[in-house]
Amino acid sequence: MPKITFNAVRKVFPTDSVNPVVAIDHIDLTVRHDEFVSIVGPSGCGKSTLLYLLGGFIDLSGGDILIDDKPVSGPGPDRGIVFQHFALFPWHTVLGNVEFGLAERGIAKAERREIAQRYIDMVKLTGFENTFPNRLSGGMQQRVALARTLACDPAVLLMDEPFGALDAQTRHILQEELLEIWSRQKKTVLFVTHDVREAVILSERVVVMTARPGRIKAVIDTRADRGGSSAAIDARAEHIWSILREELSR
Amino acid sequence: MRAARLANVLFYYSPLALLAIAWDLSSRFNLIAPELAPSPGATLAALWTLIASGELTEHVGVSVYRESVGLLSSIAVGTVIGIGMARIEWVRILLRPCVTFLYPMPKSALIPILLLWFGLGHMSKIAAVFLGCLLPMVTSSYNGARGVEPQLIWSARSLGASQWGVLWKVILMAALPDILSGARIALALSWLLLVAAEMMISRNGLGFLISYTGETGDYANMFAAILVVVAIGFFSDRFFLLLMRWALRWRDLPA
Amino acid sequence: MSPTQKIRLGRWARAFGHYAGGAAIVGLWEISVSGGWIDPYLLPAPSAVFGRMIEQAMAGDLIRHAALTVYRGVAGFLIAAALGIVLGTLAARNRFCHWFLDPLVSVGFPAPKIALLPIFILWFGLGDMSKLVMVVITCIFPVISATYLGTSSIDRYLIWSARNLGMSERRLLWKIVIPAALPQIISGLQIAFPMALVVTVVTEMITSGGGLGGYMMRSARFALSEQVFAGIVTIGILGYLLLKLFDRGRRYLLRWHAESQM
Repeated sequence: MPKITFNAVRKVFPTDSVNPVVAIDHIDLTVRHDEFVSIVGPSGCGKSTLLYLLGGFIDLSGGDILIDDKPVSGPGPDRGIVFQHFALFPWHTVLGNVEFGLAERGIAKAERREIAQRYIDMVKLTGFENTFPNRLSGGMQQRVALARTLACDPAVLLMDEPFGALDAQTRHILQEELLEIWSRQKKTVLFVTHDVREAVILSERVVVMTARPGRIKAVIDTRADRGGSSAAIDARAEHIWSILREELSR
Repeated sequence: MRAARLANVLFYYSPLALLAIAWDLSSRFNLIAPELAPSPGATLAALWTLIASGELTEHVGVSVYRESVGLLSSIAVGTVIGIGMARIEWVRILLRPCVTFLYPMPKSALIPILLLWFGLGHMSKIAAVFLGCLLPMVTSSYNGARGVEPQLIWSARSLGASQWGVLWKVILMAALPDILSGARIALALSWLLLVAAEMMISRNGLGFLISYTGETGDYANMFAAILVVVAIGFFSDRFFLLLMRWALRWRDLPA
Repeated sequence: MSPTQKIRLGRWARAFGHYAGGAAIVGLWEISVSGGWIDPYLLPAPSAVFGRMIEQAMAGDLIRHAALTVYRGVAGFLIAAALGIVLGTLAARNRFCHWFLDPLVSVGFPAPKIALLPIFILWFGLGDMSKLVMVVITCIFPVISATYLGTSSIDRYLIWSARNLGMSERRLLWKIVIPAALPQIISGLQIAFPMALVVTVVTEMITSGGGLGGYMMRSARFALSEQVFAGIVTIGILGYLLLKLFDRGRRYLLRWHAESQM
């Protein structure tokens, strides 16, 4: 049984003008348990929309999305999300942010504290527990967001260009840390990015989407390349780029 | 360090002392007629008698009670209405016509009606403060709650918060800067309305003390009472500012 | 009903609701008074209030009072605006003025100035003068502090390039400093203007001498509740129209500014 199934998924946004915008159309995709899937595509192709639909933040216009064979209805703690611009609660400290989801689950204070501390240590923010987010750098804020999401132990992890707002060096470090975390605590990950190389390094499969309306153009197995040499990664990235380029020039 | 800060504060407020000295000198040399302004000495003496007799405490107590009940209830009710209007469309449709018509109305116009409704007791003054401050609170919390980033709400929902939980754990908190700056305006407005209402329709409170001593020609006491009102207005604003800084400490710019 | 995902009603429902909400409230009010559920002394029926309004407007009373209120409020506001802009600019450009004015503004801004009214009555009598002084004293603080903030935070490259072009200091002030500070000054005026109306009405209630405030207070003393409500409706309409007018003026002055498009 697949973890996630997209069945003829379609999303239309109403606009002020007469013609509504078809963001994505005819999306069929299945994701296995604990699989790491990246989604790449030209900007505006609806990659993020796909994640928001799966997260239950916005409603489908057609088709259905199943998780463990049950249709998605509304957001839930079984699907954690990490956004490009972090979306931390600025009025909570690092600890308060990481404890938020645990408190929602009704976990007692002492235990909550202990779990949160474990995840703060995991993302290497020990010592910053009582700092407010606006005192942290972008990379550190994204670590907090990651810890906040992981602390709830969601089965599915949705990542919406999570490293897109960071500098190259920080991005590289966080990519490695994400892979390490993923290899230790298995999760099903859907990772949206515009960085093809990042997709090859991180994921087992890369989904390439068309320009709007977003459809699936190709699905590429990258398991053979991701652990491999830099040359192998570059070759695969170049291959995906060549597919994408047709879409960009359309 | 401490002495230096104190010296700074003293220097900052020294123009006020200068004005007091000018007032004193002009009354000593009869530059202003004593029936138009009592001397600072006479005013301070009157203030001391008001304090010693316990009369001042009574009026201050009455005024502070009315002001705080009216203001706090308008903050609470105004915030609920404002957030409701921002996040629930049928609430917005129902209430928007009332808000657009009532918002520009000078709030002080309500005072005669409250006299009709509630007479001379506490209630008419509390209602004047409450109704006067309600709309500024509604509009400031409405503006704050309308602009909340959707991703913040989505984050909370995917961390397990219910829709109603989001309302006060995310939207209320995100609107807090706007709510508090609205409350600061409401605080100033509340003293204006309270003192005005007490001057017109009351038998006690600081506004009554001012108008009563004025009507009986007891100007030293009148000046003393005015000084007290100005001081209360100033210090309540400073206190609120401290509270606001504390409540919004998470918003500080990176050091 | 979902409070977080904004629920959108149809366009017609919204347009209908916009007017229906107000109409429903007036209708409910009328019915509950004429049905005898509400004491017409405490809340006269809208029909009675509007009837009284038209009657008094015809007789000229209401119009005379309204004109007095508008005159006092607007004149006081304009004087405060002129003085406030001058003082605020001085405070920004002269260190002595700043030293002297800053503490006065920080105490005067939050203080309930209405308490000073008996002093002004003592000094200036019960006529228009004391009322105008009261309005000016109330409105001037937001204007001073907004003007100070605006004129002291001007981009210095703007000033340098103007000096470089050989502009005199005086022209610099009128052509560069004040226009550049205008958005801030106007936001100060925006705070001051409603305060002018609030204080005019209160002042008229406390001192006599006509105006809508005095008219309402006298009606309340004689328990003429329809007349009190006629006064409040008139004040409401006047306030609405004056704020609209103010907004027009603001848009016109800021037509070069990006925010005025909103």
